[in-house]
Amino acid sequence: MEQGIFIFLALVTIASACFVAASNNLVRSVFMFFVTLFAVAGLYVFALADFVAVTQIVIYVGGVLVLMLFTFMLSSKETLEKLERSKQPFFTLKQFPALLVAAGFLIVLVNAVTKLHPNQLTWVINAQNNTFHPQDNTVTNIGINLMTAYLLPFEAISILLMMALIGAAHLARKEQGND
Amino acid sequence: MNHYVISIFVALVLFAFVALFTTFGVYAERKVSAFIQDRLGPMETGKYGSLQVFADMLKMLQKELITPLVADKALFALAPIIIFVAVYLGFAALPWAPGLIPANINVGIFYILAVLSIETVGILMAGWGSNNKYALLGAVRSVAQIVSYEIPAGFAIIAVVMISQTLDLQEISRQQGILSAENVKFLGFMPVKEVGGILAWNIFRAPHLIIAFVIYFIASLAESNRAPFDIPEAESELVAGFHTEYSGIRFALVFLAEYSMMFLVSMVGVILFLGSWNTPLPNIGAVKLADWTTGNVWGIGWIFFKSLLLIALQMWVRWTLPRFRVDQLMDLCWKVLTPLAFLCMLISGIWRLWLM
Repeated sequence: MEQGIFIFLALVTIASACFVAASNNLVRSVFMFFVTLFAVAGLYVFALADFVAVTQIVIYVGGVLVLMLFTFMLSSKETLEKLERSKQPFFTLKQFPALLVAAGFLIVLVNAVTKLHPNQLTWVINAQNNTFHPQDNTVTNIGINLMTAYLLPFEAISILLMMALIGAAHLARKEQGND
Repeated sequence: MNHYVISIFVALVLFAFVALFTTFGVYAERKVSAFIQDRLGPMETGKYGSLQVFADMLKMLQKELITPLVADKALFALAPIIIFVAVYLGFAALPWAPGLIPANINVGIFYILAVLSIETVGILMAGWGSNNKYALLGAVRSVAQIVSYEIPAGFAIIAVVMISQTLDLQEISRQQGILSAENVKFLGFMPVKEVGGILAWNIFRAPHLIIAFVIYFIASLAESNRAPFDIPEAESELVAGFHTEYSGIRFALVFLAEYSMMFLVSMVGVILFLGSWNTPLPNIGAVKLADWTTGNVWGIGWIFFKSLLLIALQMWVRWTLPRFRVDQLMDLCWKVLTPLAFLCMLISGIWRLWLM
């Protein structure tokens, strides 16, 4: 049963991601992106990462997706329709960098899957007794690690967010003498 | 297999409860508003108009589902379902009694905040799918309001979580009464673990949590789009906001979501601040009132009663205060509630380190 749910979630993730990439209707593909993100959160739950799963929903669904939708709401419908109607050939030169990145990533992935033998890695063998149960509380662990081992990246991210906040406040401010 | 049958059964019971509460809530809302405005309210259908809601439901169920010609049909049809399911999902993690919780998860309160944010996607879907300028403007207003008010609500909740040191709703509940595993102090100095009752509730564990509760209550009104924060559906400007084009059962779902949201935010407020399923009666010497009134059946009764009190307060506020303007609404959120909520969080940290 669990395996069935896992396969179902994985299929939903892949199918909806394909729809997002292929669809011509921009608004619908953004709403489909919501399904993708939700299914990925479900996959995190299967990895016993409940905190990450919930964070995924808070940040991507509650934040990023709503921001994307807001840009649609604030732009005019004609512009959107023009974007949707423009028929592009299957492959153009400006898509070449994207193809390069995608192909490179595929090579990395295939290499990793074929050359890695996960059962022979020392840290995997050493971690065999260090098991994790669904009832265990991950939150305290995450908190302690963020404040000790990963303090520097944590602070770096907070500075980045601070810059974004100041930038947004600057953009939203009224120009002096313009009103 | 048994496990799945029980899960489905619990989900059905919760749905039945939500539907029943909505019928009761609509009737109560009409009677309360009538009382406040010195009217009688529904009186014709049944004794004291008690069958009015059922008559309304029958009417709504048999209405035609009208879809605007140029609407995005799929999004238009899906939106009410997503709006309702987002709220309904939240009920899964709410504890009802010491031994009764549909899904006991470690990150309970965080999960509820997360699934409630899905509602905004449903509202935007409805606004965009309707292809109606009033619906679109209503949806944008509604989402801007919900996203803004999530911040003070979130920080008020964090203030509580920092005091109780857990995200597990059942553990937060247990700490507010005689079943607590750790010491509970009234206002930080008087140990009340044995006494229990109203003295052990979170709002009395630290005085700044009273402010946090007020912030949470105001923000919860805004998140469920109720007056005085109902500018998304301000009739005089926007017809009916994001659900202008909906009719029949789809409109009923939007309505169901609104009333379930009222109950959900009230219940979360009760769990975090007002002692959850704990009794308000303290042990006084040999009269062990708290011991006598704590248990599974009592728990359900207390939490339900407290939530209904908060809902009555919401209705009272709705029919007393006039509607805010958009800029006043955002001013209140960003210039008053958010700094206050940050202050509460700061005091919580100091309180936890030095006084507990």
